[in-house]
Amino acid sequence: MKIDKTKCVGCGNCHSVCTMGVIYLDEDGKSVVNEDECVECRTCYRVLRNEGYRPWFVRAIRRVLKAFRLAYLAEPDVCPTGALTPQELEWPRIVRATFSDPSTVHEGTGVHGRGTDEIKSNDVTGRLRRGDVGFVVELGRPGIGARFRDIEKVAMRMASLGVEFERENPVTQLMEDPSIGKIREDVLGEKVLSAIIEFKTKLDRIPAVLRALEAVQGEVDTVISVGIASRCLPDGSVPHEKWVREAGYSLSPNGKTNLGLGRPLFQEE
Amino acid sequence: MTNTLHRQGRPEDLKGDFVIFAHTAKGINREGSGPKIQEFMRICLRHNPVNIGDAKQGNIHQDDIDIHQLISRQGDGSAAAAVFTDLDTLEKVIRDLIEADLGICINVSGLLDEVRACCRKLGIERHSVEHSLGFWGAKDKLPERHILEIHTMCGHGMVSFNFIRKMIEQVKLGRLTPKKAAKILAKCCECGAFNPKRAELLLERFRKGLT
Repeated sequence: MKIDKTKCVGCGNCHSVCTMGVIYLDEDGKSVVNEDECVECRTCYRVLRNEGYRPWFVRAIRRVLKAFRLAYLAEPDVCPTGALTPQELEWPRIVRATFSDPSTVHEGTGVHGRGTDEIKSNDVTGRLRRGDVGFVVELGRPGIGARFRDIEKVAMRMASLGVEFERENPVTQLMEDPSIGKIREDVLGEKVLSAIIEFKTKLDRIPAVLRALEAVQGEVDTVISVGIASRCLPDGSVPHEKWVREAGYSLSPNGKTNLGLGRPLFQEE
Repeated sequence: MTNTLHRQGRPEDLKGDFVIFAHTAKGINREGSGPKIQEFMRICLRHNPVNIGDAKQGNIHQDDIDIHQLISRQGDGSAAAAVFTDLDTLEKVIRDLIEADLGICINVSGLLDEVRACCRKLGIERHSVEHSLGFWGAKDKLPERHILEIHTMCGHGMVSFNFIRKMIEQVKLGRLTPKKAAKILAKCCECGAFNPKRAELLLERFRKGLT
């Protein structure tokens, strides 16, 4: 994202809307984006309505108000002059947008948002079967952002446990070698709002995965949101609960439930 | 929407926060799913959700969004979501979806025991369940708990910490009502999973100095 300085009137609305907090007021009193930290989520551009005022008009009003010791205060969800200007992105920077802008569809998975399916379609895909457990390890979330260099550290640690990365996942598709979790070199410096490492293993491997996550979490310069999922037993009970509790971790009271209404329903042998 | 998994809050607040969403799988039930997703949206709409939308087109709290037009433009594989604030309404929505037998995948984010009880009441057993194991890593970078409560209502993380702080400040200064501030926050969440009613109640609480 760029800010057109010929239009910007320095109202500062985009500073607070920015998901990464990387828009600031430059020495000339106009806003500027720290492009190295910007994740190209386009939230500023989408949320702040372009009021379409001419910059000279807004600046003149501000000068008049200032003379009377009054301040110009724009509505919090507008860009008075439409100064926010999205850029045409090229590889590898475009990776930032595909992982950070939820209106973008991931080409490889055909899914919006972070591009993952996890249990959302498990009733028809049977991706997680009885005895399986699925993990979704989301780096950068909530609200901090992550570089692929950190995402790779966690992916490689998980790969060393012999987990099976989900093929239909945007992070897996950036791996040069999924058997070791290595991510392609040219994207390692790119920053995204968040990215989800998605894999499955067997239920009895839950303690090992959690121990490995415990060990690697200190090596990354961001936060991680961790989710765990499994296919319910016929009585509706959740197989992974016992393993997680026995490993000494607690589970959230809320979560996601696949109701099993998809068709054709996957039939497990 | 791994996204809706990590909603934070006290159990009494989470009792007013249920997200229902439709999903499809490539090569299985995505192809030809457009009309079914549209029907999913119409069913949700009949029960007056506090938010509804799809990731590609936005949600009802954004400028210039006409929900009927949005639905008519939904095609195969559109990501559709609606938010309800009580279990009774959620139950009615699920009942209608069972009757409609759309064949697309339906998921609910919310208190797991409540959702399970709701399913059983309607004669179905849940298929798969996903829990949050919370936040790990550099947790010292995270803001105060009450900021996270609002932030995590947008699963994609589009409601910035600073914007939440600004809205709290505007409410405290009396420049915005909690309802108006909640609606502005809801604009940021592209797919419609943000719960503006819950945000309004939280902002009202913050206005009174409670967190």
